[in-house]
Amino acid sequence: MVTLATEPMKMTKPINNNQPPRILLAKIGLDGHDRGVKVLARSFRDAGIEVIYTGLWQTCEATMYAALQEDVDVVGVSLLSAAHLTVMPELLRLRKKLDIEHIPIILGGIVPNEDHAALAEMGVAAVFNPGSSVDDIVEKVKQLAAMHEPIQFKEVVVGYKARKQNALAKLITSVQRGESLDGFTPPVGDAVVIGVTGAPGVGKSSFIGKLGEELVSRGKRVAVLAIDPSSPITGGALLGDRLRMMSASPEREFFVRSLASGGAAGGLAAICPDVLKLLKGFGFDYILVETVGAGQGDVGIRELASHTLLVLMPDSGDAVQYSKAGIMEIATCFVLNKCDLNGADATQSQLISAVGDARPIFKTSTLKTEGIDRVADFIMTLS
Amino acid sequence: MSIEPGLGKSKRSTDDARGKPFVGPEDLRGYDPATALSVPGSFPFTRGVHRTMYRDKLWTMRQFAGFGSAADTNERFKYLLAHGTTGLSTAFDLPTLMGRDSDDPLALGEVGRCGVAVASLADMHVLYDGINLGEVSTSMTINAPAAIVLAFYVCVAKKQGVPLDQLRGTLQNDILKEFHAQNEYVFPPVPSVKLVVDTIEYCTQHMPLWNTVSVSGYHIREAGATAAEELAFTLADGMAYTQLSIERGLDVDAFAPRLSFFFDVHNDFFEEIAKLRAARRMWAHIMRDRFHAKHERSWKLRMHCQTAGVTLTEQQPMNNIMRVAYQAMAGVLGGTQSLHTNSMDETLALPTEGAAKVALRTQQILAHETSVPQVADPLGGSYFVEKMTDEIEAKAYAIIDQIDAMGGVLPAVDRGYFRRAIAESAQAEQRRIDGGAQKIVGVTDFVEEGTHDMEMLKISQDTEDEQVSKLKSIKANRDATKHQAALTRLRDDATQDKNVMPALIEAAEAEATVGEMMDTMKQVFGAYGGGPEW
Repeated sequence: MVTLATEPMKMTKPINNNQPPRILLAKIGLDGHDRGVKVLARSFRDAGIEVIYTGLWQTCEATMYAALQEDVDVVGVSLLSAAHLTVMPELLRLRKKLDIEHIPIILGGIVPNEDHAALAEMGVAAVFNPGSSVDDIVEKVKQLAAMHEPIQFKEVVVGYKARKQNALAKLITSVQRGESLDGFTPPVGDAVVIGVTGAPGVGKSSFIGKLGEELVSRGKRVAVLAIDPSSPITGGALLGDRLRMMSASPEREFFVRSLASGGAAGGLAAICPDVLKLLKGFGFDYILVETVGAGQGDVGIRELASHTLLVLMPDSGDAVQYSKAGIMEIATCFVLNKCDLNGADATQSQLISAVGDARPIFKTSTLKTEGIDRVADFIMTLS
Repeated sequence: MSIEPGLGKSKRSTDDARGKPFVGPEDLRGYDPATALSVPGSFPFTRGVHRTMYRDKLWTMRQFAGFGSAADTNERFKYLLAHGTTGLSTAFDLPTLMGRDSDDPLALGEVGRCGVAVASLADMHVLYDGINLGEVSTSMTINAPAAIVLAFYVCVAKKQGVPLDQLRGTLQNDILKEFHAQNEYVFPPVPSVKLVVDTIEYCTQHMPLWNTVSVSGYHIREAGATAAEELAFTLADGMAYTQLSIERGLDVDAFAPRLSFFFDVHNDFFEEIAKLRAARRMWAHIMRDRFHAKHERSWKLRMHCQTAGVTLTEQQPMNNIMRVAYQAMAGVLGGTQSLHTNSMDETLALPTEGAAKVALRTQQILAHETSVPQVADPLGGSYFVEKMTDEIEAKAYAIIDQIDAMGGVLPAVDRGYFRRAIAESAQAEQRRIDGGAQKIVGVTDFVEEGTHDMEMLKISQDTEDEQVSKLKSIKANRDATKHQAALTRLRDDATQDKNVMPALIEAAEAEATVGEMMDTMKQVFGAYGGGPEW
């Protein structure tokens, strides 16, 4: 559950060394064998690591670009299709091109021993074969993450002002760690901040991905802040929202950052306003904040965003559930997603009888990319 | 849609048969061998689908093969046939499995790497060149583009002059397990399953000897499911195809005999035997009592088995020969109709010819030297094995009830039920291994320093380059008008919700590629990005 502070935050905090290590796990190419990567994702979470899993069928470019935006400590790649000698050099080339050479890349999968030396030589930080113990892998990731160099603020602020995304990403990390921003105050900016919430499974992330693309195609600069829960026990987290929004490419103004609700000094409440300041100051037009919308309690999003989109799906019973919670009253508009499923019209009627028709209700299908343009039209009227 | 009473669901307790040092008659109190077992070849087929089992006919030794170009694989097929293999089994490369042409950007580095590259009918002609399709049975492991590959096969048979009603073989064609486990899906679940029903309908009308779907637990298990989950998910998938085919208007007895199954044979010897026996008993009841099939042939669950790739280790790879041998024996004691034995080097790369031969010889020794095949279901009546069979059956029925409660397989896919269950089981197994509760010889225990010295199969980059240039030349030289007309018809038929098989055959003959046909259908069906993950 996300609860957000109501008071404006100062941009300086004590240094926090408890920020969990962050790893981006990627499967590249067409191979769908994801048993290993998923076992590791869960094991990393249980070991107190924040895991950003980017899903299947990623290109090298999308993977390294995601690593840049997330400013992870380590990139882990799973390859079982014998394409490692094609894929790894390409990843390393992109890492250099994107100027994120400080992020180590590790590889797991079916990699013949005779290829290990060549991979090490080209700059792969570690290779794990089937039978590697999970504990060893976790240990290695923590070790690599601990080698993360301190952020060079002066340099990074210059990059930020020049609108370099890797600089923005590093400043967000800095806020996450509770580090001082060395007196730097970002410009105020004029971004419209929109909260997107709704129950798990309604397709929030896919919807945001499509909405973001639509706004970008209209020449807008868009940032997404995707918030997922941390494990209360280990502090680790599985951040999977990004895998629904991977069509971002370096040429486009579409910035996605995943945040774990517990993975920050003082909790998310403490850092969200600062992260938003950084995003606003960077010059985005729209900032979409995705929260774990579980109904009651999620009304805290109001403190953060000037508008709220509530995403629902047909036949989910959400309309009833939400009308009991407070979220119905604060929603600026309603998005009835997954309208390719049966029961969309009935749910729409239910919704109208619950909330009236003063606020817009949009029917969308992210699967078929339908209705997204009308939501974008509406959003562009907001300020 | 819960299972109605009287389906042979075990009412006995589900205490772990292995919780005690031995199992005796007191553990099978109330057990009625006449209904639970019967005799081999009779309902509920617990003891096997044939009366005499292997005494009259050995299982089919079907070794999965495919790599490089169609010509490379054709050569391997001929080698395997010459060495006594009795059925062909085709592995396609990843681009083909994902419905993409060899020159697709995402295919980079993958062409011919893990199977054979087939992008057009021309490749299919080369693949089966010199092999009479009227004489061999052919299994083709392909799912999302299965209907297209079936169309290619039909075209090759026509060219060879083999009547379609003589074609024998199996199309894996099981898209549901792709959503659960293997991830080689392209379209969203609903149109994906519609394509499967299209092929079932086409084959029921034109290819009566062809096994339309190989409902597969193998990949579900390899992805981390338990034996009971493998059993339950697989039968649930089979039930979903059956239900949808009935809804299409097909007579259950017209298509059910041509559904076949594909299970994993893992390390837990007796559990695996119990699983295969329980599968037959459950399916017989499900078909007779739930779907009201009247013919005995519809009640029989025929299966292919493959030894568990996931159990093989990179360390001390020769040990894999022994693992495969035990697993193969469990498959045979479980009464499989066909078997693939893995090669010892498969954790490293695709098998070399030598390793593939040892794997085949393992089956031949089992068949001809051990006398295991002499008597049907030799373990039938063993207190322990019967108890295990009952237990896994009860667990599987409980899982099927859960799936029914969600509204069936498709709604459960939508909720991410299968993926979550499998990932949780996979992690639990990893914990047992890391915690020392599950030993792996050569990995967790009896470890040796140093590395193995295994010869490995290398696929040269030349394959990809040659395949891409061949494909480009096909695209440049075909009859563009005919090609365009065929794809337009395909799009129209898909839009109008017609059976797309005739349009796919026409498109294949017009030299449309796999990627072009898939893209045409994507315009109508949409592309699927995956369901809930955690």
